[in-house]
Amino acid sequence: MAITTVPGTTRPGRSATPYAAGPRRTSLGRKVRDNLTGHAFLIGAVLCFAVFSWYPMIRGVVMSFQRTRRGETTWVGWDNYARILDDPSFWTAWKNTLYFTALALVLGYAVPFFVAILLNEFRHAKGYLRILVYLPVMLPPASALFLFKYYAYDPSEAGLFNAVLAALHLPTSEWMQSPGMTMPAMVLASTWMNMGSAVLIYLAALQNIPGELYEAAELDGAGIWRRIVNVTIPQTRLILLLLAMLQIVATMQLFIEPLILANGAGAEDSATSVAYLIYQHGFFQNDLNGAAALGVIMLVVLAGFSAVYARLTSKQD
Amino acid sequence: MSVPQYRKTAALALVAGLGLSLTACSTKSDDATSDAGGKVTITVDCQPVGSQKDLLQNWNDDVAEFQRQNPNIVVKSVSVGEQCNNPPDFTARLAGGTVTDLFYGYMTDLQQVLDSGQAMDITEFANKETIPTWDSVDPALKEVFTEDGKLYAVPTKNYSMGLLYNKTLFQQAGLDPNNPPKTWPEVREAAKKISALGNGIAGYAEYSAGNTGGWHFTALLYSQGGQVLTEDGKKADFNNAMGRQVLQNLKDMRYGDNSMGSRQLLQWADLLTNAAAGKVGMFIGAPDATTAIVTQFQGKYQDWAMAPMPGQDGPAKGTLGGGEGYFFKKGLSKEQVEAGLKWLAYEKLTPGKGQFDYVRAKPQNQPVGLPQPTLFSVGSDAQKQEVELRKANANLPVENFTAFEATPVPIKGEPRNAQAIYAVLDAAMSGVLTNPNANIDELLKTAEGKVNQLLAAEG
Amino acid sequence: MAHDSGTRTLISHAQLRRGRGKVVYWTLLTVVVVVFTLVFLGPLYWMVTGALKSGQEIAQTPPSLFPRDPQPQNYVDAWNNLDLAKLLFNTFYYAAGALFFQLVLDTAAAYSLSKLRPVFGNAILGLMLATLMIPAMVLIVPQYVTVIDLPILHLNLLDSPFAIWLPLVANAFNIFLLKRFFDSIPEDLMAAAVVDGATPLRTLWSIILPMSRPILGVVSIFAVTAVWKDFLWPKLVMPSPETRTVSVGIYAFSGGTPMNVVVAASVIAAIPTVVIFLLFQRNIMSGLTTGSLKG
Repeated sequence: MAITTVPGTTRPGRSATPYAAGPRRTSLGRKVRDNLTGHAFLIGAVLCFAVFSWYPMIRGVVMSFQRTRRGETTWVGWDNYARILDDPSFWTAWKNTLYFTALALVLGYAVPFFVAILLNEFRHAKGYLRILVYLPVMLPPASALFLFKYYAYDPSEAGLFNAVLAALHLPTSEWMQSPGMTMPAMVLASTWMNMGSAVLIYLAALQNIPGELYEAAELDGAGIWRRIVNVTIPQTRLILLLLAMLQIVATMQLFIEPLILANGAGAEDSATSVAYLIYQHGFFQNDLNGAAALGVIMLVVLAGFSAVYARLTSKQD
Repeated sequence: MSVPQYRKTAALALVAGLGLSLTACSTKSDDATSDAGGKVTITVDCQPVGSQKDLLQNWNDDVAEFQRQNPNIVVKSVSVGEQCNNPPDFTARLAGGTVTDLFYGYMTDLQQVLDSGQAMDITEFANKETIPTWDSVDPALKEVFTEDGKLYAVPTKNYSMGLLYNKTLFQQAGLDPNNPPKTWPEVREAAKKISALGNGIAGYAEYSAGNTGGWHFTALLYSQGGQVLTEDGKKADFNNAMGRQVLQNLKDMRYGDNSMGSRQLLQWADLLTNAAAGKVGMFIGAPDATTAIVTQFQGKYQDWAMAPMPGQDGPAKGTLGGGEGYFFKKGLSKEQVEAGLKWLAYEKLTPGKGQFDYVRAKPQNQPVGLPQPTLFSVGSDAQKQEVELRKANANLPVENFTAFEATPVPIKGEPRNAQAIYAVLDAAMSGVLTNPNANIDELLKTAEGKVNQLLAAEG
Repeated sequence: MAHDSGTRTLISHAQLRRGRGKVVYWTLLTVVVVVFTLVFLGPLYWMVTGALKSGQEIAQTPPSLFPRDPQPQNYVDAWNNLDLAKLLFNTFYYAAGALFFQLVLDTAAAYSLSKLRPVFGNAILGLMLATLMIPAMVLIVPQYVTVIDLPILHLNLLDSPFAIWLPLVANAFNIFLLKRFFDSIPEDLMAAAVVDGATPLRTLWSIILPMSRPILGVVSIFAVTAVWKDFLWPKLVMPSPETRTVSVGIYAFSGGTPMNVVVAASVIAAIPTVVIFLLFQRNIMSGLTTGSLKG
């Protein structure tokens, strides 16, 4: 057996490896064997993807057009969708979810970026500050949320937040028990728990910005704010766009916050999310098919959003 | 290592990996039904959990004794958590077919169990032969677990709601513990006095989350003489004077008198935890709520007494009733079904045994003397026997419950599609309990619209 | 103010070292350190000490800063009543299994996609990466229905650890991370091994893996913390009290347990992940940035 390929010569930009089963001057039998080897290494992961990811995807769509009753499954066309769309809770849930997403975008998206810019300027206590910011990310969400539920958002003045507000002579709040505060309170908890990873990712991005750009901007007389707008943001644009997208997709799946903080639907349904509705249909109301339809609707909405988003952001180039 | 050899190793590793997973999974599917040596094995769920020490001990003793009396039967107990029927887990077990041979369910679960295709028709097996007290069991309860003339479960508990109140707090507040409130306005007065004790004590407590708010709205509505759905079950029927009264009463207590405590959005266990801690003056519930307060939430049963459900201006016009039973999993052998029925007869349906073993429960400081579960028809042999035993062993002042028992209120069951409707009604309850400016008409109208749409979509 | 090694950032170092800049810098730094400590460590302090307070003390207004009469009993109760030993063991067990299956299967797959490149490899990689676009909530119901009745085999994985382990292998992000790392390993190294007659498995084992320790560390940490933090999926597929994870167990007990005990249990449940974080923070941080940035 001879190694005939020289790395870097077979395909532009991608070197063939000694084992690669791709186009090479070898015998057919050899090729088949190499391919088999390659697939033998792949098979475990592929099976897991097939069974737990690809198949359920299709299954979800199929289920949304079926109804199982008395152990018998029948095709019901668009019935599940009609039923779901007719349910006023559906619209409440979407309204709440979008509200959460928007609030989280304001708080959970902008704040980490500016925190990262700030941290990036410090020459001291860097490691300490990073650890602090990331620490809540490592808590199991259930643990962190019980802390918020019982200690921070206590509606009386025995609660942490109300005690602080009262000490500052500010009006206190009933937090989760006040329909208007439900969402802001959930966003606050969620941001506290999750912002660490965004901060770290931004920090890494900021460190890749060539220092000369700032220098040049400064020579042009640009102040700090102008430098952020003209250098920092354009230089981190890709990562900013990517994280915005990831965050929107993540926040649209809001579930554990309402479940633990609001005991489900919250005051006057102010916490019901689409994901919580899926859970209610699937596991409380004996309606897995309706839950599947809800899932498909969510997928369509998110896919549509991603497509539009990708379109918009790429056009700007 | 040559190439073919390596490939063999890789293949082996893969096969080993997958094979391992397969064998590990498949061991689960076939443990219950084997009859080694002619023995019949049945699995039963709802075994008490470890923290309920006495109850667990009792259950295990009962299993041992039952097996001694029936040497050819093996009972395998499974614990499914503190709440035997926690909807998401129950759904999971039903959908996954991992229910035990005999599985616990509420009366309202029949439809879901039938939908899952896991239910077994036990009509021909349930009789005097397998369950000696069968003829004494209230026919209305059997009816609840029957569809199209087929029986699917054995009722093991039956309750109706009343007003539970803490006698100690009544005394402290200067109220007469022997003269509990009979109407909602009286409840409001009492709640005001009790909450004046301070210390975070709520005069009256109520649910508003996790579908329990809707559940209690239903109970409160029944007490007003109302109903959740029209007779034909096709329309919502609570957006009326009675529904308004229910919410108005709560709103008045919550924000008019501030007598319901500041912490709302309570679910099942939240309220009972507070009650066990002596922080609740009154709440509506079934008599066995006191059992839960004692065995699960470390409260004292001596504190608790029960009055009939209050009405708006006289006795309640109706009260919510419900209950539980054991279903049988589809595909059991005749022997298994018979063994299962025998076990239920022993543990749940024999005065002096199992759940009716008052002699044993009394020294364990479990409440004895509660007027329920009323499983047997009034006047039947089993009922007389049970009442006699209960009176003889009562450790709670029986008079705590005489008012409740002496004033029977017409019992109404839960509406169809109960969980979905309760989820909707939660919002109305949380509205009046968390929003001082809640608009009751608006809340009811919204809920009515939602329930009607839900019913229409169900068809 | 010694280390000046970093590159130039938004504000030049020189500016921060001069009179006014220096004052502003130090003031700001102090404020940030204090505020961040309060915001991120404060709640944790509140959690740990709050769980030491008695029921009365936690309900008092205004709340006390230190527990007046510490009740370690709350932690003992949490440990005993919630059977935390069992719950923690379960979670460790699931995390260990998840780690094992992900390391073995995902590494093998990434190796194959990067170095062996069988036919349809790219198509398979594409299909895998496409799953990154599908939100978990969308799949939860059909995935759940699949797990309770596996296609073809008709096995039921409810309450079996495989219901947690195997779906986690389908982690396109891990495969992507590993593949990119393997891609960066020079082919010449492998070519030399092949000349020596080494098989692909041997090459993976003795050349690729030793060089990939950093990325394997990252994948391992993510695998473990993912299991520790997950909630809804284990809640659905582990319905028995015997098989619950620690998060799900605490949630299940939260209804019937005094709130201080629930919070005490939450503290105990958080300890392992916090320890992992403090031990491996360097790897975690580098993993986060390599993973998300240079793709």
